[in-house]
Amino acid sequence: MKRKKVADQETHFSEPDLAEMITRWVGPDRVPKGLRVVTDTSDFFRVDYDDVVVLDNHPYFIRNYEREGRFGIDEEPKFWVRRAVDLLDGSTKIVKMVFHEQFKARVGDLTFECVRSPKKEGAILDMVRGHPNFAQGFWVEDASGNVVRIIDFIQGKTFADYVLELGKDHEDYFYNHFPLVLSEYIELAKAIGFLHENYQKHGDIRRDHIIKEKDTGLCRWIDFDFNFLHKESMFGYDLFGLGNILAYLAGRGDVMASWLRENDSPVFNRLSADDMNIIFNNRVVNLRKVYPYIPEILNRVLLHFSVGANIFYDNANELLTDLQEVRDRIRDRNQGMAEVR
Amino acid sequence: MRTETLESFNKDRRILIAVDNSENAERAILYVADSLGGVSGFYVTILTVIPEPPADYFETATECNSWIEEQKSEATRMLDKYRQILIQSGFVEDKVETIMDIRKCPSVADCIIDVQQKLKCCTIVIGRRGVSKKEEFLFGSTSSKIVRSGKNCAVWVIE
Repeated sequence: MKRKKVADQETHFSEPDLAEMITRWVGPDRVPKGLRVVTDTSDFFRVDYDDVVVLDNHPYFIRNYEREGRFGIDEEPKFWVRRAVDLLDGSTKIVKMVFHEQFKARVGDLTFECVRSPKKEGAILDMVRGHPNFAQGFWVEDASGNVVRIIDFIQGKTFADYVLELGKDHEDYFYNHFPLVLSEYIELAKAIGFLHENYQKHGDIRRDHIIKEKDTGLCRWIDFDFNFLHKESMFGYDLFGLGNILAYLAGRGDVMASWLRENDSPVFNRLSADDMNIIFNNRVVNLRKVYPYIPEILNRVLLHFSVGANIFYDNANELLTDLQEVRDRIRDRNQGMAEVR
Repeated sequence: MRTETLESFNKDRRILIAVDNSENAERAILYVADSLGGVSGFYVTILTVIPEPPADYFETATECNSWIEEQKSEATRMLDKYRQILIQSGFVEDKVETIMDIRKCPSVADCIIDVQQKLKCCTIVIGRRGVSKKEEFLFGSTSSKIVRSGKNCAVWVIE
């Protein structure tokens, strides 16, 4: 890794310049002694807290690494992803360095070869510039040609966590909050459709990869660097992710068969294997059996992701066509109920 | 009008066999060889589709090109072998052609149907891998999609 003292570094910024910027944006007590500048991030493990990474003559003050916050339980550190302060304007950025990981992705009992592709993420960042439903940022090559992505930090909760706090119970949530949640979801699904139309896939659609931005209320997709060589269907895996999220939103959380059994729910005995998620066989997707007020038209969409499904969605547009009908039907029903009241 | 009808009647019927490097693809070839070998009036196209990998899948362009070259070389060997099987079964040499199609291809089935329509093939023959429902859901099934989406042609699915 290229690592030089500021005095040796080819940069427009002197050590006093950088110290002054850190003082301005982070605080005088945060200026490290022996400031170090990094221009080659090849060995990301050696990019330390308090280093300044200079990319394209733009300084970023490195802070903590990010974690993979999957379901809040096995939060693994992502050492190649660092939070940083942009020393030119004080904004918080996510600096994603290059980690050429190749691994077997496991989905239920199926596995497939997967890679992390910085170039893919860079290409998508270019493609979605200005799109309200994606994280925004750009990519830049470091001194060794690594494609480093600089992404605006999104202040907010995951969409999944946000939804869990809505409504006093599921029925209240479903009638009073779900219509808006569904509209937000439709925009997110359209955003994925936009990628597909441009011969790209998200590659890792999970509910914790949507952040609801605190200031704007916009939901944005994050983390789109996973890539794999597809078989018949390029978009099947993305659609699977969209289906899982839809079931989560409609159920205000995953509805687990094990939970129903443990709580002696009478619903448990009415469930059949066909009612379960086609991949995660412990999750109920035939939610109308659990919550009878879920309209049939929505349930039919959910059943495309069930063990009992005989036909699957081929692309996001097919899903969207059905969902827009669901949204209209729920809106009409709610308007009808309001008039009755 | 009458002449055109007679001409089209006299034309060979075009069969498209879509193959990859799987055993079931070989079964599709063998089925056509057994059923139509030595029967006149058929022109066979053996097609293999190689979806162009996304430009950003490989770390370098060299890796990407090397992957494509490897795929092409394997496909060439496979197509030659299958062509020989059909010729040995009684097809006339100049009535068996091979096509290797490398292109951006979100769905292999759509690419096969596209070729079928361009060549005006009356039949698509394809082997079925027998993927599980889960696999079909996540990764798709080319034969299922062709059965569902194919138009103006017969589809033979060989198991």
